[in-house]
Amino acid sequence: MSTVQIVFLFVGFMILLAAWMMVSRSNLVHSALWLVVALFGVAVLFVLLEAGYLAVIQVLVYIGAIAILMIFAVMLTRGDVESLTHITNRYAGWAAVMGAFLLFGLVIVLGQWPAFQTTSPEAIESANPVLDLGMAFVSPDGFTVPFIVASVLLLAAFIGAIYAAFPRKKGE
Amino acid sequence: MIGSISSEMILAILPEIVLLALVAVIFVVDLVVSDERRGMLATITAVGLLLTLVLTALFSRPGPEAVLLWGGMLRHDWLAFIFKIIFLVGALLTTIFTIGWEPIWRKGEFYVLLLTSTIGMTLVGASGDLIMLFLAIETTSIPLYVMAGFLTRDDKSNEAGFKYLLFGAMMTAVMLYGFSLLYGFTGTTNIYELTTAIGAGEIPAAVLVGAAVLVLIGFGFKVAMAPLHFWAPDVYEGAPTPVTAFLSTASKAAGFAALTRVMVAAFPSITLEWTTLVAIGAALSMTLGNLIALSQTNIKRLLAYSSVAHAGYALLGVAAASELGVASVVYYFLVYVVTNMAAFGAIIVVYRVVGSDEIADYAGLHRRQPLLGLVLLLAFLSLAGIPPMGGFFAKILVFAAAVEAGLIWLAVLGVLNAIIGLYYYLIVLKVMYVGESKDADKPLPVLRPHSAGLVVSVVALLVLGFVFGPFYQWAVSSASALF
Amino acid sequence: MIPLSWYLILAAALFCIGFYGVLARRNAVVILMSVELMLNAVNINLVAFWRYLNPNDISGQVFAIIVFAVAAAEVAVGLALVISLYRNRKTISVDEVDLMKW
Repeated sequence: MSTVQIVFLFVGFMILLAAWMMVSRSNLVHSALWLVVALFGVAVLFVLLEAGYLAVIQVLVYIGAIAILMIFAVMLTRGDVESLTHITNRYAGWAAVMGAFLLFGLVIVLGQWPAFQTTSPEAIESANPVLDLGMAFVSPDGFTVPFIVASVLLLAAFIGAIYAAFPRKKGE
Repeated sequence: MIGSISSEMILAILPEIVLLALVAVIFVVDLVVSDERRGMLATITAVGLLLTLVLTALFSRPGPEAVLLWGGMLRHDWLAFIFKIIFLVGALLTTIFTIGWEPIWRKGEFYVLLLTSTIGMTLVGASGDLIMLFLAIETTSIPLYVMAGFLTRDDKSNEAGFKYLLFGAMMTAVMLYGFSLLYGFTGTTNIYELTTAIGAGEIPAAVLVGAAVLVLIGFGFKVAMAPLHFWAPDVYEGAPTPVTAFLSTASKAAGFAALTRVMVAAFPSITLEWTTLVAIGAALSMTLGNLIALSQTNIKRLLAYSSVAHAGYALLGVAAASELGVASVVYYFLVYVVTNMAAFGAIIVVYRVVGSDEIADYAGLHRRQPLLGLVLLLAFLSLAGIPPMGGFFAKILVFAAAVEAGLIWLAVLGVLNAIIGLYYYLIVLKVMYVGESKDADKPLPVLRPHSAGLVVSVVALLVLGFVFGPFYQWAVSSASALF
Repeated sequence: MIPLSWYLILAAALFCIGFYGVLARRNAVVILMSVELMLNAVNINLVAFWRYLNPNDISGQVFAIIVFAVAAAEVAVGLALVISLYRNRKTISVDEVDLMKW
């Protein structure tokens, strides 16, 4: 077993452990911190996959913005004690069965796919993959339209979020 | 290295460009206009949408051959074009019916969200790539979550937005997992290259069915296909009625645009499997939707279940997976958008005066405002599929498509369901025409823009019934763009 | 090297844990966090497929970046709606938000 494999197993174990702790803890701040651990583990996976740029984005966007937003939301809604004492709803048993069934199904399905057995990646020919990515986003026969639409979506989400969360007086 | 932009590429996204410019105009007007005159925001949006509609119809028509533009992101074909028209009509009528609806029509935010959602829809209809499609679906849905919960002080609206968001986010993740598998299996995100890659035959059918099921779950949620319809009644009931109207027409049509394009284009090798799944979904949607609608007392909830049933009828056309099938789906939505808009428009008018959505409060409506009664009568008869309304031909077409594809059991079930449907539509009409009410002699004023919206929808609905030919031709040419 | 199957199985497991969290938890913020786990699973899939099968076509990475953008938009709107709900009802437990029958 090579070093990278050991690193992968360690990181993978951490991600799954952190994910499980996140969904099963009753203290929401702990949940949010476990989420950060899981997200950080995914960033390490991106490094292992030689997608360094995505790893940076993962840390900046997911940990730097999304996870922090989550912690804010936890703080702002901490009056809801009820959901802390009874953390799961009455369908939790079914949810566990469905989750296990889904995992089983996905692995069975994927296992029948020949390329599932691929052991080593192809070589990356490009000298500068980050440059390729940037060019893909600005070239009209690349991904310009999604790039622009994503910014429109972010703007709309921004406006919608401010509107929904803005405190207002009765009757307004 | 960077390609150039041709005029054809610009014309293909003309509606999106104009809508985006309209968003900018709304921003500026919202900033400068005084509080009392804010009502003009709705008018500006309506005029802008009408302009977009005209410009699209004049300049954005596709040629006879479908082309992939913008690096394969968008496909400029008749299917995309007709669905764009459907979405723009839906957005226009929604805007008209928001006029006078406090406090929505004084909020620039609402129209910005509405227009962004419309941009998302027009792109859903034209997407030729999984990345574009995913992004377009989210651009449609995320503003809709806020719009459903737009009345932030109203508990029901709040709850509607919240539920829609939670279910929507989860189903999106499931659909996205399906997309990621499709990308992995084929090595491409272009929907039209997927087919070639799958056709090469390296991928076992079972694997492909797994991905198709995940994708179908996502689309099924968006169109409220049973058993993934559970969100629809609550969201439809709680959301402000103009938003409900938009959700049940344009948003549903967007789901169908994506469904037909992706399933037909990407999965021809497992047609039997996915059409069977869609057929089961159609059967469940029609039956559940109609049976539960029978016992509803709130008209918005009734129309929510009726819209689940209508998704079921339209799914018959998808399950047929043939040219006639796709043409019938397109025709179905041409009719359904104006029909449902007419029905919801009438509900909005009644709510403004009566302040209730209970069916019991519609008693004596016919005497209070005969023309409004007539609008509801025509809309409900069209929903029930009575000739010569547009709804009749739409139903005939989907049933014909199902029979042609050998799904005779499904067509028979559809006809039985249409009879059940007739029953609950007639109950509402009975309350309206025969029911006694102490308010029966009080007048029921209708705002001028609302009457214009109602007249346009009803005329369109009658035209689609009487002048069947040219619109059917449209539907056929859009279907042939897929095969 | 690490076999592709390891990544895919890890992503599937992460996806299912997120799926369980969405269905089982009552607190809306945790449900949104679970959705993020599911989206991260998708991103592991996308990047692994890109690296192992088509490293010379950038679309896998582009897809992952678009997922980031959408996830950010979804979380922003989601948390805003959760806070708005909390302000009105003082609860964000999904099974207590049942003014209308489910």
